[in-house]
Amino acid sequence: MTGKWQLKDHEAEKQLFTRRLAVAAVIVALLFSALIVKLLDLQVVQYEYFSARSDGNRLHSQYVPPARGLIFDSQGELLADNQPIFNLTVVKEQVEDLDSTLAFLATLIRLSDDDIAQFQNRLNRNRVPFSSVTLRYLLSEEEKARVGVNSHQLAGVAIESQFVRSYPLGSLTAHSVGYVSEINREEMNALTDAQKENYGGTYHMGKSGVERTYEALLHGIVGYEIVEKNNRGQIMRRLDRTDPVAGKNLTLHLNAKLQMAAEQALGDFRGAIVAIEPATGGILAMVSKPGFDPNLFVTGISNKDYSVLVNDVVNTPLFDRSTNPYPPASTVKPFIGLAGLQSGAIDYDFTIQDPGYFRLPGVSYRWGDYTLRTTIGGGHGETDLQKAIYQSCDTFFYDLGHRLGIDSIHGFLSQFGFGDNFALDVGYARTGVLPSRDWKRESRGEPWYPGDTINSSIGQGYMWATPLQLATATAILANRGAVVQPRILKAVDGVPFEPPNNNPKPEVFTDDSDYWRYIHEAMTMVVHRPFSNELRDYGTAFESIAMQDRAMPYLMAGKSGTAQVVGISQEILSSEDIIVSDQNRDHGLFVSFAPAMHPEIDPKISVAVFVENGEHGSSVAGPIAKQVIDTYLLDILRLDFGAADLEAAGATVTQLNE
Amino acid sequence: MNNPDFVRQASSFNASRRSGSSLWQALHIDPPLLIGVCLLGAFGLFVLNSATGGDQAVIQRQAIVMVVGLIVMCAVAQFNVHFFRRWAPPIYGAGVALLILVLFIGAEVNGAKSWIDFPGLPRFQPSEIMKFVVPVLLAWYLASRPLPPKFKHLFWSAVMIVIPAGLIVLQNDTGTAIMVFMSGVFVVLLAGIRWRIVFAGLFAGLLGSPAWYLFLAQAHQKNRILTFLDPYRDPTGAGYNIIQSQIAIGSGGIYGKGYGNGAQSHLDFIPESHTDFILAVLAEEFGLLGVLFLIGLYLFVLLRGFAIAYAARDLFGRLLAGSITLTFFLYVFINMAMVSGLVPVIGLPLPLISRGGTSIVTLFIGFGLLMSIQTHDRQKFP
Repeated sequence: MTGKWQLKDHEAEKQLFTRRLAVAAVIVALLFSALIVKLLDLQVVQYEYFSARSDGNRLHSQYVPPARGLIFDSQGELLADNQPIFNLTVVKEQVEDLDSTLAFLATLIRLSDDDIAQFQNRLNRNRVPFSSVTLRYLLSEEEKARVGVNSHQLAGVAIESQFVRSYPLGSLTAHSVGYVSEINREEMNALTDAQKENYGGTYHMGKSGVERTYEALLHGIVGYEIVEKNNRGQIMRRLDRTDPVAGKNLTLHLNAKLQMAAEQALGDFRGAIVAIEPATGGILAMVSKPGFDPNLFVTGISNKDYSVLVNDVVNTPLFDRSTNPYPPASTVKPFIGLAGLQSGAIDYDFTIQDPGYFRLPGVSYRWGDYTLRTTIGGGHGETDLQKAIYQSCDTFFYDLGHRLGIDSIHGFLSQFGFGDNFALDVGYARTGVLPSRDWKRESRGEPWYPGDTINSSIGQGYMWATPLQLATATAILANRGAVVQPRILKAVDGVPFEPPNNNPKPEVFTDDSDYWRYIHEAMTMVVHRPFSNELRDYGTAFESIAMQDRAMPYLMAGKSGTAQVVGISQEILSSEDIIVSDQNRDHGLFVSFAPAMHPEIDPKISVAVFVENGEHGSSVAGPIAKQVIDTYLLDILRLDFGAADLEAAGATVTQLNE
Repeated sequence: MNNPDFVRQASSFNASRRSGSSLWQALHIDPPLLIGVCLLGAFGLFVLNSATGGDQAVIQRQAIVMVVGLIVMCAVAQFNVHFFRRWAPPIYGAGVALLILVLFIGAEVNGAKSWIDFPGLPRFQPSEIMKFVVPVLLAWYLASRPLPPKFKHLFWSAVMIVIPAGLIVLQNDTGTAIMVFMSGVFVVLLAGIRWRIVFAGLFAGLLGSPAWYLFLAQAHQKNRILTFLDPYRDPTGAGYNIIQSQIAIGSGGIYGKGYGNGAQSHLDFIPESHTDFILAVLAEEFGLLGVLFLIGLYLFVLLRGFAIAYAARDLFGRLLAGSITLTFFLYVFINMAMVSGLVPVIGLPLPLISRGGTSIVTLFIGFGLLMSIQTHDRQKFP
């Protein structure tokens, strides 16, 4: 050991150490320099870049959805409102174990398999990462509290408030006002890029009715705000905001009171009622019954509720009867009659001897009188056009239709909107069928047979029309040819609104304007011509309407129709051994306008009533139309017919009773 | 080589300095080091206050740890460093025994099984102590042998380094293993190991690293290296920390966003913002100037360490002081370099700034040893 000690040269060793220490100091300086160079690169050279990245990290531009425009009826009653609700939302990226979180939530709140399935659907849609997805809508206060208490165990789960559509009148406006519902993938894909941007914060979209037609007006313009978010996506501060522009408030021609009266008038029947103001074409009421609760769709209808609606094949609540076509039956007779006068095929003095059936020359087949539906046999005897209308004499119209030919019928009736959609803002309404040679060749590939004309002339066969079309045509009739095109939107933000009309329809021209009076008179007789000693010389709806209300202060023009659902022979229907299934019963129709033949007051309302399987137009649909008209003229407009010229009125009634 | 003139000058210089600070000398405290350490600690608390969003519980705990550290430092400084030299082999033996014990009964924290939890004693990491035990042993071993060290001595030095470093690797604590390894290597380097051996070693390491990467490196180690080379290969996963940290540092610019305004840290984009990545908070809020200030404080402490090593009276003191100072530097550098993306991420805190417990106390033990070397008279020992 001592030998080793002696070998040590302390001074040399110290110098060696000092040199090493100096080298170490130089290396330290070099490494610190490298570090400082790196910092200069990050903090000076790349400062702009990293500054932008930092802002990008924390600053997020997010959409502020606009408040959807409200919808009012013509009297200012709210038909579509926005209500705040509380939803449970989930940010998937922040949830550690989605399945166990959902299982835990199910112990706190009502969470059906359906909710979870819909949630998974929403998750699978294109969405921005770290955006919240609704798991359940409409949390109750109690559920909110339960989730709140357990929030520490529910990372990524939040309660968000949201304004959603609410329809205070529920099923009453389900078809006409329509409803909004979550935007689906196809609808999203159909939007242009600009629209997609505008819908950035919007989850709902109009799916039917006014909500759909005027989606562009109702939606408004999206706003933006810049928020500072932390690493977990929580909003810490709001920095800048561009307010959204709320959607426009819409005022409809629809009158909630009348809508309600119409709905009630239908009672337990399935059917539809459309009421139009003849002066403007404004749709006063548009009811399809049964309806459904549109509020169910707003927050995502459950599969159970939806299948109930869809599987009800008898009542088909989702089906809008007011804009779908049915055989108009005898309700077309006034129009055909007018066509006969205008074409010169017949005049006021023209009569037929009605044997109760019609035969085409050289054809042995007999077209029976459906309206009579009686085993009595025989017909109406000597019948002119007015009697043919108020008695609804099929044979007269078979003969008239044969004289006119399908081309004349098609040409004249198309002026009233049959086979066409005259409505300016009910684009979804069907057009029905006003048959013609061309139509049959195109759709059936068959030529037009003379027998087709016979069926068409009483509104059967190929002829189909919607309640909306019938109300429109009746309004044009009430207007003596002045065409009105139905419209539902009356005003936007209080400013009267004129829907764009790309295809204005010309007035219905007649050689003699007295033809209109003649038809009005015939239709008024339908309701007001009383029983007399003559066989079959009363108005078909007298017993069910005017006879029931002797004090009726106004005259009502109308025409009933009974549309065959299936071709069941008269003998079988009349047999008491057979119980005819409800759904095979005939449809009852009634078109009407009022007040009719008033010297001072023009018609204020035209109504089309369709009663599905109602069996009789005159006895079932007629009184319903009367109820609707009563409500409108007496309760809503409160017209004072007493003040009108009583003498003139007396004369009119006398005339009808002749 | 004897130069009496130089010796006399040196001793008279030392004598005059000693007389000027006899009180500190008596207390075995080195005022410059004390000031540097306290400034760093205070600055650390200040930054930590912002990084934790003013979490007083954390700040108080950190302050207590600092005070405990200062007390430990003063206590260590009271021991003549010869005490450690004398007891170096038994201390080393005990340390290695504890490291082995840890492998069997150690408690696991953050994936590293390095803690010993004796009932009635505070929980501690034997591997931390080894950062000083290894240089003490090597300084003991080499100081009594002729320098530059012979190959035989180098071999035994390597054995002394590799045994504890290897045991710490087995604890799955690579960062500490590297520090323990380097603290021993620094002694050998300062002892004058020949450059050709150093370069040969570096060259071998260079050649060996691909082999290490291909055959020995674990998946997470490979991942760290790949992430270092391109953080954007997995920007939301492995690369997230370094990307967010660079954004924080870069967006701080020259002057910083201001105290408490670090968006990256306050919005929780910086992970580990209290510990390993606290430099990012500092750089974001105080900018380049703040980081330069911190580097200045570190440099002050490091220069004092170098001065103590230079002025130490014997080879043992020199080697130990040099190693402790360089180990401290390595700590500082690795953390700052990893947070700024200069080297791959190695889980090491920023000394005296990051939130910590044992690691901070360990640092103070080092400073205590430096003070001991500086303040105890070792003239009688050659």
